[in-house]
Amino acid sequence: MKMAENKSNQEIAAEFTSYYLQRVTKEFAEDLDKVRSADDFKSDAALPLLINALQQGTALFSPEEQRRIVTAEAAAATEESQSGKKYLSTI
Amino acid sequence: MGKRNSHGDFAGGPRKRQRIVHEAPTSEDVHTSRQLRQLLAFDSDGVRARHGLQSFKLFLDELLAGGDSHPDRLQILREYLDSTTPSESEDEGSRVYLSDIMQTWSHASQPSNDNVISAVVVALALLLKLLSQKLELVPVGLGICRTLLQKRQLELISRALSADKGKAFIISPTLRLLKEAISFDGGAVAKPIFRARAFTLKSLARNMGIVHIGEQDEEAAKRPSARTNAVLFLLNALKFLHPEAKKELLSQRDVVSALTRDLKQDPPYLVIQLLDTLRDYVLLDDKVPREAKSSLLGAATLIRISSLYYYRQNTSTEPSLPSIPDKAHDFLMNACTTPSCGVLRQDMGLYPRETDPDATLPTAELEELGLEAIVWMKRFKTEVPVRNYVLSNFLQNLRPWSSTKQSELVTAIFKAAPELVADFFINNKSFTFEPKLSTTWIGYAAFLFNAVMLPIPDYFCRGSGFSELPPPTSIVIDNILPLPLNQKVLVRCLAHKSKMVSFFATRILVLAVQKLDTAVRMHQDLSHFNKSLWAEAARRLVDEFCQRSPSIIDMINSYRSISEDDILHREAASHLLRLCYEVIPQVALMAKFDVSPFLETALRRLAKREQSEDPKDIALSLKQLENLLAIAGYSPGMRWFSTSDSITFSPFTALLRVYVEAPHGVALTKVWRVLDFVAMEHQLVPAYTAHPGLLPLLGALQSLNKSSAKSVLEIWPFLDKCLTRCATAPIKYLEMMQTIIQEAPGLPSQGISAAVISPITFAILEQLPFAEKAANQGVLRALKKFLPTFIGLLVAAGESRPLLEVALSKMSAHFTKGLDGLPSTEAAYELLAEVKHVDQSGDSAAKKTNPLGRSREGQTITHIDDEELQEVLDITDSLSVDNSALTKWASKTVDELVDEGYAVSLISLLVSEHASIRKEALINILKMAAKIKQSEYDEKEQVWLLLSELAETAKGGGVGDGPLPSPVVAFACHAVRMLKDPLSVLYPKINGFLTRGPVWSLDRLPLVDEVLAEDPSAVDSYYAQLSWLLSYLLDSLRTDQDLELFHKKRANGPLLERLLALAGNSYMRLPLRIQLLKLLYRATGIKGGSTTLTTRFGIVSWLEAQVAWCQDRDGREARLYEALRRRVWETCDRERVGEWSRKGAVVVVEGENET
Repeated sequence: MKMAENKSNQEIAAEFTSYYLQRVTKEFAEDLDKVRSADDFKSDAALPLLINALQQGTALFSPEEQRRIVTAEAAAATEESQSGKKYLSTI
Repeated sequence: MGKRNSHGDFAGGPRKRQRIVHEAPTSEDVHTSRQLRQLLAFDSDGVRARHGLQSFKLFLDELLAGGDSHPDRLQILREYLDSTTPSESEDEGSRVYLSDIMQTWSHASQPSNDNVISAVVVALALLLKLLSQKLELVPVGLGICRTLLQKRQLELISRALSADKGKAFIISPTLRLLKEAISFDGGAVAKPIFRARAFTLKSLARNMGIVHIGEQDEEAAKRPSARTNAVLFLLNALKFLHPEAKKELLSQRDVVSALTRDLKQDPPYLVIQLLDTLRDYVLLDDKVPREAKSSLLGAATLIRISSLYYYRQNTSTEPSLPSIPDKAHDFLMNACTTPSCGVLRQDMGLYPRETDPDATLPTAELEELGLEAIVWMKRFKTEVPVRNYVLSNFLQNLRPWSSTKQSELVTAIFKAAPELVADFFINNKSFTFEPKLSTTWIGYAAFLFNAVMLPIPDYFCRGSGFSELPPPTSIVIDNILPLPLNQKVLVRCLAHKSKMVSFFATRILVLAVQKLDTAVRMHQDLSHFNKSLWAEAARRLVDEFCQRSPSIIDMINSYRSISEDDILHREAASHLLRLCYEVIPQVALMAKFDVSPFLETALRRLAKREQSEDPKDIALSLKQLENLLAIAGYSPGMRWFSTSDSITFSPFTALLRVYVEAPHGVALTKVWRVLDFVAMEHQLVPAYTAHPGLLPLLGALQSLNKSSAKSVLEIWPFLDKCLTRCATAPIKYLEMMQTIIQEAPGLPSQGISAAVISPITFAILEQLPFAEKAANQGVLRALKKFLPTFIGLLVAAGESRPLLEVALSKMSAHFTKGLDGLPSTEAAYELLAEVKHVDQSGDSAAKKTNPLGRSREGQTITHIDDEELQEVLDITDSLSVDNSALTKWASKTVDELVDEGYAVSLISLLVSEHASIRKEALINILKMAAKIKQSEYDEKEQVWLLLSELAETAKGGGVGDGPLPSPVVAFACHAVRMLKDPLSVLYPKINGFLTRGPVWSLDRLPLVDEVLAEDPSAVDSYYAQLSWLLSYLLDSLRTDQDLELFHKKRANGPLLERLLALAGNSYMRLPLRIQLLKLLYRATGIKGGSTTLTTRFGIVSWLEAQVAWCQDRDGREARLYEALRRRVWETCDRERVGEWSRKGAVVVVEGENET
């Protein structure tokens, strides 16, 4: 697997978009179901429109922020240890 | 469209085309060229003629289908063509190829035997098609083409083309024939065909309207219609005609209109060919004049092409063809956004068509009325005159909310012609954003998101610099929050029961506030000439924005209503709130928003995270936390050091824990910045720039965390108490420090200023007895480890070592076995450096943007170093004292005294630091004056007067007490040089000055007002006078007393201020500006010079403005200003300047150095 810090900006952007979409579909699952059952949801044009609208929000994250979020996984995995586990556990 | 033939119509009734039934002609196989000749020989009998032509057609069909597999048949054709080729002796113009066929054609048209005519043109079209593939037969083909261009044939063609609409069987092959002819041999005869356009293009527009009608059988429907053939002919013409002919062809409105009229019904291959040909041979052909392109691509054509977005393509029957909607999209993107395609016109960004952004308005009017003085300022609220009216019309026919591609097209057009944004939303009345959870609403939202995300045009006007007047506020706001996004609708969106609606609205608002920020900054740019006018426009803009956007309360309520688990939504909403605090604080602070509970929630959530949780989610939550921290930093009501029942520690300590205990790899730079800021604000640490702030504490805690994580957990309650106490009563600890200073060896004499130390140390010292009393061994053990490291780091941070040693020994008393000594200096430095490195490494992104918000990314300015700066700006002191001047002059003639500088050298001695030299010089000056007066020197009177006045002034100024002020001496030196030449520009002014009185004021700089404020004595001599003045002033600035004269308050303002204002004259040339810079450089070399320049004359901002002004024009000059700014910073009293500018100067200069 490619090291997180070596990933190009495009790779990071693609991974972030996929994470964003996954997150957004999770948070708004109920609403998305309603949209899909609405009258004006015609499958051929509507689905790409919907996906495009959802993923637009990635533009609100700067490339650095995207990298930070995408690479958090790798950082946490390497540090999944003593200090990491008790992180903030007692506040 | 061609005029309809009304013959045989039933008046008023629906017209039906008569169906024509063709009898199939007979035919026979062709075996010899002789047989072919016989078959095609002229025969007046229609049936026999058709028989021959049909046999020929089948013969050609076979040849065309079989390629080279019929060499014998090709031979037959070749022989036949040879036999019919006219002899070369004939005149070129009258040579008729295939004379038999031509005769048959002509004969058939007399009684109008349509079947024969059709058979002839079909055969000819096929023959040309075949010949175009056989290189050796091309000359024959060209001969046939030329034959077609003879008058008789042209008339036949014209008659065929204008045959009744129902006779597609004649029209179609004729068009095919023309198509083959115009493209034959690379368009060799295209030009003459076009020249004969009265015949060849006859009824073209009408013919492009003849399509298959429904009731035809399937076989017929598959055949290309007359329209298809006509379009193909026209496209071939566009391919092979020269640009001027294309222009003329495209200027025929009916043809252009007919070309795209039924586009949506055309077969896919035709549509593709049409789009490709128009693109390659019209749009992208640079030789085709712009007006030709414009006449092709009117709004109607664009609308018809855009109807292809809905083209129904049967991909199962023709899978290899590209998608038509995609093709049309690419075509439109190209056509509408490339200026050379003839549609897009250059606009002026946010300035509408009827405005003149560079108009000069009377200053008095502008001062009195402000923005009201600009008549057009409020004119564009309901209508915007645009240059791109074609695109404006076209845009109204698109439905960007219904398809991603159309949204992309509209956005691209907006980007290419920003004037259209406001116009589009004003005209699109049906476009409402009333929230409803539907695909259309989401499409609206996505489109609006794109529109708001568009960048603001460069300098608003797309020029190379800002205009004189600001753009109309209504247009700017329409670009930031387009009309459908009004307050009422947005409030409803934020409070909508479906959270996705609120999420979409929040995202758009985030973009809008960011865009507002950019727009306001552009209004505040330093290079604006009329700053107050732009500032007023910026205020209006913010007001308008606040009227359109939901109130901060609505935003806060929306944030409150989001579930804790919806981190993406929470992040967006907190981002929005944070931006409001940053960009429109005056509005944001109106709401009483206590961020602490949200901060607690966020911290608690981070604390509760489960093992299974996605690390990306945590990183996202951290981003939300950052937003909240920023809001907390901005809101004055934030209680950083108060505890409540719901939380164990104060928010500050809780945040400190987040920082210290965060797993490695999670970037927490912003958290560190907030902690550092709060610590400094609450005087936990000394607040001067060189001090590393909270780093020693963070370093000590991290070091403890590394060695024993348990100890850190033990230490928090104690530390929280110390931090809270220190923050609530810092004075108490400062007093405590003073007491301890008395005890420290050697310190009292140095005073408190030398004994800087973090107040938190004393808070810890004060609290230790209580910890000792509580006898919690865990805490004491942890403190035993922690305190020496912490104190060691404070020493490494540059705090007073003796004082800290006293503190440590006092602390030691509370531990049974005492504390360890301080760690070695190297170890402490290393640790401090490590923390610094970690804290600042993740900070690269933050540093790219300095706090003024201007991105420095991509700038590769090579700095001018100090040495280079010195080389350019430092010139030696010309009043340098040469004592030999006292004796040298005596032996010289008067001419030599004046012209060769002996007089000047003598005068310069008046600034000597030795009283005897000055006195000697004075006597010698008087002697010299006498000598000059008695001489025959032309200007003896004036020079004598000057020297005498100087001597009088020196006497009165007490030449024995100290050097004469440099300005007086420098003036005398520079005046002598002017007096020797009556034609010099300053001759009258200097004489005027000399006759005014016998003694000069030592408090003033002679002749400054006369040059700066009065008219130049000779026309066009202003800059010459200025140059003289600047060089004399440069020599006048040598000591701190001189500098005082420069910044002394005067009736017209301090001299330095007036000199700095000179640079505002954009006509002033570089050499004069450099002279000014030399003067400033000289001032920076004088004690206190840089500090005075910074605090009293705002030199840092002045230099910044100069950088901004010349950055685009002269990079080197800009670098010179920057280098000078660095020099000012390096030579000033940083502490005082830092205090004076509340660290603004530090940020500007150091931010610059980092790039």
